[in-house]
This record gives sequence, C-alpha cells and structure tokens, in this order.
Amino acid sequence: MNEVTAFWILAAIAVIGALFAIRKRNLVHGVFSLLVFFAGLAGLFLLLLAEFIAVVQILVYAGAVGILILFAIMLTDRVTGKDAFRVTSRGSFWGTIIAASVFLVLLLPTIQEIPQVDNPSNSEEIVKQSTVKALGKKLIHPYVITLEILALLLTAALIGAVTAAQGGHPAKKKISIE
Amino acid sequence: MNLLGAGILKGMAVTLKNFIGSYFDKERLNTLEYMWQNDKSLPKRAGDYPKEEGEQLRPTTTVTNYSRNFPMLLHDDGEPMDTIRCVACQICERECPPQCIYIEKSDDKKERPGGKPQFYPATFDIDVSVCMSCQICVEVCPFDAIVMNSQFELSTPDRFNGLLLKRGDLLKSNQYYHKIHPEEAADRDKRIADDKAAKEAKKKAAEAAKEAKKKAAEAKAKSEAEANSKEESKDPSEPPQTSTEHNKEENTE
Amino acid sequence: MNWELIKDILLATVPLLVIFPTMFALTTWVERKALARIQNRIGPNKVGVPMSRYGGKLSLFGLGQPAADGIKMLFKENIVPTGADRLFHLLAPILSLIPAMLVLCFLPLNFPWLTDEQNSVKAFMLDGAVIFFFAITGLNTLAVFMAGWASRNKYSLLGGMRAIAQMVSYEIPLVLSAVVVVMTVGSLNAGEIAKSQDGWNWFVFSPWGLAAFIIFFIASLAETNRSPFDLPEAESEIIAGYFTEYSGFKFALFFLGEYIAMFAISGLAVTLFLGAGDGPGAEAYPSLKVIWFLAKICVLIGIMIWLRGTLPRLRVDQLMSFAWKFLMPLSILNIFITGFAWHAENNNEEYGFTIKAIIWTASLLILYLTAKGLDKVNRANIKPRTYQYGE
Repeated sequence: MNEVTAFWILAAIAVIGALFAIRKRNLVHGVFSLLVFFAGLAGLFLLLLAEFIAVVQILVYAGAVGILILFAIMLTDRVTGKDAFRVTSRGSFWGTIIAASVFLVLLLPTIQEIPQVDNPSNSEEIVKQSTVKALGKKLIHPYVITLEILALLLTAALIGAVTAAQGGHPAKKKISIE
Repeated sequence: MNLLGAGILKGMAVTLKNFIGSYFDKERLNTLEYMWQNDKSLPKRAGDYPKEEGEQLRPTTTVTNYSRNFPMLLHDDGEPMDTIRCVACQICERECPPQCIYIEKSDDKKERPGGKPQFYPATFDIDVSVCMSCQICVEVCPFDAIVMNSQFELSTPDRFNGLLLKRGDLLKSNQYYHKIHPEEAADRDKRIADDKAAKEAKKKAAEAAKEAKKKAAEAKAKSEAEANSKEESKDPSEPPQTSTEHNKEENTE
Repeated sequence: MNWELIKDILLATVPLLVIFPTMFALTTWVERKALARIQNRIGPNKVGVPMSRYGGKLSLFGLGQPAADGIKMLFKENIVPTGADRLFHLLAPILSLIPAMLVLCFLPLNFPWLTDEQNSVKAFMLDGAVIFFFAITGLNTLAVFMAGWASRNKYSLLGGMRAIAQMVSYEIPLVLSAVVVVMTVGSLNAGEIAKSQDGWNWFVFSPWGLAAFIIFFIASLAETNRSPFDLPEAESEIIAGYFTEYSGFKFALFFLGEYIAMFAISGLAVTLFLGAGDGPGAEAYPSLKVIWFLAKICVLIGIMIWLRGTLPRLRVDQLMSFAWKFLMPLSILNIFITGFAWHAENNNEEYGFTIKAIIWTASLLILYLTAKGLDKVNRANIKPRTYQYGE
C-alpha cells in the first residue's frame, strides 16, 4: 500500500460523498455526506503533507460549517426530512458552464505548478515551507495586511448577520424576553 | 468584597465534609446495608409475597408511613369478597394514565354490609410492570376502595404473568391499611364516617324539609284559597306587582 | 508491507486502547462510589466474585460493578424506534467514540517501551497536534446531533440542539485559553509544549496560565457534557437528551465515548498547563513520566466528579451568558496580558526578579478585577425569571 492507493481511496470517498450530498433528498443525510466529502478532502491534504491545511479543513469545514448548516436546517420546517419535494434548478445549463469555468480557473495555476513539484529538490522545499511554523511566520510577516483585512471582513459579516437577525435597528426595536 | 467563586468553594467544602464524614460517622449514612438471607428463595409470582401481615422479607428493610408503591384493594372486616369496597365502576380503569388496570364487572349484585346490593369486580388486574405509582386511581375512587400499598418486594423470575397482580393479591383488609399508613388510614376512615354522618344528616334534613315543605304547601294552599276567596271579592283586573318590578329594573340599569 | 512501521504503530496505539478503557471502567465505579459518599450513601459494594452457588463471595468493595455493568449492557435488547433513521441511529454512537479515541493519540504519553526515535516517528506526533485535537473533538458535536436527530424523539432532538449550541459556545474559550500556552511556547506540537514545562516550569504557576487553566477546565466540563453543564442530557428536563432512545451496547458506546473524551480533554489540560509528565523523580527516571501523566489526569477527573456532586445544573440562558459574557472576554484579555508579560519579561532580563514580581502582581490584579467586574455586570443583568404560564 503506497501513496497512490491511499490517494485513490480518499478520492473515491470524497467523490462519493460529494455525489451523495447533491443527490440525497433528505437534507440531514445530504449534510452528513457533505461532511464525508470534507473528511476525504482533509485526508488528501494530509497525503500531500499539508497537515495544517488538513486541520483547518476539518476544523472549519467539517466542524464549523457543517454545524452551521445543521443549525440552519433545524431552523427550517424540513427537519424531519420526510418531504418528497425535489430541488431542481432551472438554469442548469448556465450553472454548469459557470461551475466548469471556475474549476478551470482554479485548475490552471495548479497545472502550471506541476513541473516545479516534479523536481525532487523543489518538493522538499515546498514541504518545508508548509509547516505550521513557516505558515505562521508567513501570515505575520508578508501577508499581515491581507490577514487583517480578511479578519475585518469577517467581523463586518458577523455584525451584519447579528443586525439582520435582530431585524432592524436594535435601539428602535424593543426586545423583551418573557 | 466577596471572593470570586467563593460560593463554589464553599459548596465543595460541604461535599468534601460529607464525603470524608461518611467513612467515619456511621450516623451520617441514611441507608442501611442490605442484609443477605440465603435461606429464602424468591417466590414465583409477585402476588405470592407475604400479604396480610405487612411483613417484609428482609428484616432490615424499612418503609415509612408515607411511602407508596402499587395500589391495593380495600375490604372491611369479614370475608374479603363479601366486604370488598370496590363496586367495579371502572373509573380508575379509565383514569389510569398508563392503563395498567383491567376490570371486568360482575353479572350479579352482591349484598354489602350496611348498604344496597352492588356489583363487584369479577376480575381486577393491575400490571405492576406498567404501573407508575401515580396514585391517580386513589384520587378518583369515590368509594375509597383503592389505596396505595407500600409492599415493594415484588421481584419474580417471570416477567409477564409474575408481575400481573390478580384480585386476590390486591385485596387487603382495612386493618392492614391502618398498619402501614396509620395517619392516612385514620384520616380516610374519619372522612368516610363524616361523609356517612353528613349523608345521614342530609337525608334526615331532606326528610324534615320534605315534611316542612309539605306542611308549608298545605298551609300555603290553605291561605291562598282563603286569599283567592278574598280577592275575588276585590277588583281582579290590575296586577300591580309586574309594573313595580319593571321600574326597578330600569333604575338599576 | 513495512512491518517495522506497523510494529511501531501498534506499539504506540495498543497501550492507549488498553489503558483508557480500563480507566473508564474504574472511573465509573469511582464516580458512583464518590457520589454516593458525598450524598451519605454507601454506593455499589455488592458485586464481586461469587465463591459458591449459595452465597459466600469476595465483594472487594463492589469492584465487580464495572464488569457487571458491561455484561448487562452487552446482553440488553437493542431497541430502535420505529420512526428512527436506522443507519444514523447505528452510526451516531460509533461516531461519538471515534474522535474521542483518535484524539488520545495526540497526548504526549512517552511510554517507556518506545525508544526516542519511535516516539518521534509516532504516527500522530504531528506538528499541529493541539489544533488537530480541537478539530477532532469538535466532531463529537456531530455525533450528538446525529443521535438526537436519528432517534426521532422530541427530547432527543432538544438534547442534540442544546449540545450543539453549548459546544459551539464553549469551544471558543477552550481554544482561546489554549492559545496562551501555544503563544508562549511558540509551537503547536504537544511534545514540545510538554518539554518546555520540564523542571516544575508548569504553566499553571503563572497568573495568566492559572487563569487560562481555570477557563480551560470550565470549558472542558461543558465540552464533555459534565455536570454542571450537562444540559444536553438533563434527566429532569429532557429525560436523557440525545441518548433517550438508546439502549444496550449502543448506549454503552455513548457512555464510553463520553468518558474517553473526558480523559482526552483532561490529558490536553495536563499537557498544556500541568507540565505533562513532569513531576518528582521524572528527570531521573523518564519512565515515571507516563505514571505522572495518568495520575494528573486522574486528579482532574476526581475534581470533575467532586464538582458533579456539588453543583446543580445551570439554566440554558445562564450557560450561554457565562460562555459569551464571562469566559470569552476574560480569555481574550488573558491573551493580551500574556503577550505583554512575555515581552516585558524577555526584553528586560537585566532587572530579573523585580520586573517579574511587578508583572505578576499587575496581571493577577487585572485578571481578578476584570473577572470580578464581568461577574458583577452579568449578575446585574440576570433578573428573576418570569414564566408565561406558571405561577
């Protein structure tokens, strides 16, 4: 058993999970298949020795995002998952084209990087750069502005969400808990 | 200024004191150790446990006067089936939340001491594996026929028939009830006696009232007859009462 | 096949699978005994080794109780509600056990039969072990939700929802208090964090470390659904919460998962704050380290049991406001204080003891006064609860 076998197993898990997530009628089943997909992806990252990315994949996607989706589902009345309705998108043609183009845009830089990875000396360098410590230093030194702007964006989103959830100006709307 | 978290530490000190104290101070222990008796084997059915004496199998197990476990049927002094209080009205069967009571009404009526002939339960079963000891049957019974027993030694090897208490298992004398729940039984007996006395008094009063009414009616009829005979001599065209009543109503409005 | 690697992995993982379930069995007995004694009862003292058919036996203070419980659980009927989602109902207990077990591998337990080399190549000595720990324990929430949802029972669902809300809220102070240690050591590797505390240099022995440890311990109680934060399984309110519909061995798996998670998170607390395997004699005899580590875990578990016997359960609103309005601001402040103190200590080494004393008193005062103030503000906001229908 080598890396290639592991890759194919993990890839199969991820693809099957993703397919189930799309095709399942039961919302909760769909979410859990999505989580399986995330876990498979985390495994793929681990296989690439990018352990920090793998951790973040589990922490943020399988942990936080999955629970958020579950929360959203619990707040709807489709909790039981018994409904026989089916989500069908009307503009599936354009949707496919947009998804494919996004995928290509993401894929192209990756393909360009392949010759560098094939070089053994280079791949070692890449692994060394992707340790937690190196990543942390990079985040603080060259990319600190980006990090801060992202943090600000997330905070703004959070405050926006709170405001939206409260429904209007909090001072005007009197909230009484009885 | 209170130290932050001092309440938690105080509580922890209390529990620690209890924890250590329970090893040294036997007085603290509020339970008694269960004594094993190897010479007695478990009865086959829950109903086969000692009944009338209120005797417990294990000498050390105690029940208080206020403990309750499963219902029992009361009978007064005399043969159990002759003096059973239950008249198979099936109120308890209908009210029982987990529906653990099964009653079959008898076809014939039976003479009761100091009362009319009544129906009696041909079958009265309580499935104690279902019963939740809520005491609702006791609350609803209009005849004080069902009360709670404190017998708890009911384990049997048979899960189905063994835990089904039959009429014979459930029947207990009023004396036994007095023995296990003295205060409650005294209260109940007093209430029954009071009710009975009140009923008697009411009956008497009703009879007296009937008598009085009869007399009054006779007297009234007499007087009315007299009045009629008088009024007939007067002018009978205008009834004055109705108009005054009408005015009164308008005023109040 | 790389037999050497497989041997190494087995040597590293099998002891974990032996030690912790054994500790679980003993802990259930200890917990029942201790709670009984706290309530002035005797507790389980009968189950032992029967010597003959007609009585006469070795009761050993009821030490046979865990075995009896296990046998009972094994042979109990497995009941699945008619309306339940059968697959998820089966998967949930397994999913609750796996993260708890997996996370044990990240603890820096240096077994004496492992050479240093094996320890360093040990399958799970990852660079980001601490963050991996949090990521994987977070998955426990999903199992709880899965159980609550799959049972198709209102109480189970309520328990699942409570569990999610509680765990999401308490994850934040938990991680933020661990950040303090990670910042000071400069590594996410559990082994390195353990090594940096050798020689009584534990993190609890500093004001910020103490504050972080207390926050971490409280949050870990909530994370593992221990009393007084056992709202997801509150018997008096929602029967048994998410495992209302579980019986037999599935219930036992839940039980096991819960206790293993307790051990794991106590192990992390020991690693981060209590000096991991450090203790008297650990320098001279490195094999003592494992024993010290396990002993510290046991002490923390003992405190958890003690607290369970002492404190009543919190209300849902109290639980939430405690996490968001007390623990979270305090842990964020603690991070700032740690940063300042670390810089002040490292940049003014010539003043030595004086600067250290000043920093320590100042940070202790600031932390305590802030906690006190937060407490006061929160208490002012808590009004007696009014009920819509009850009187």
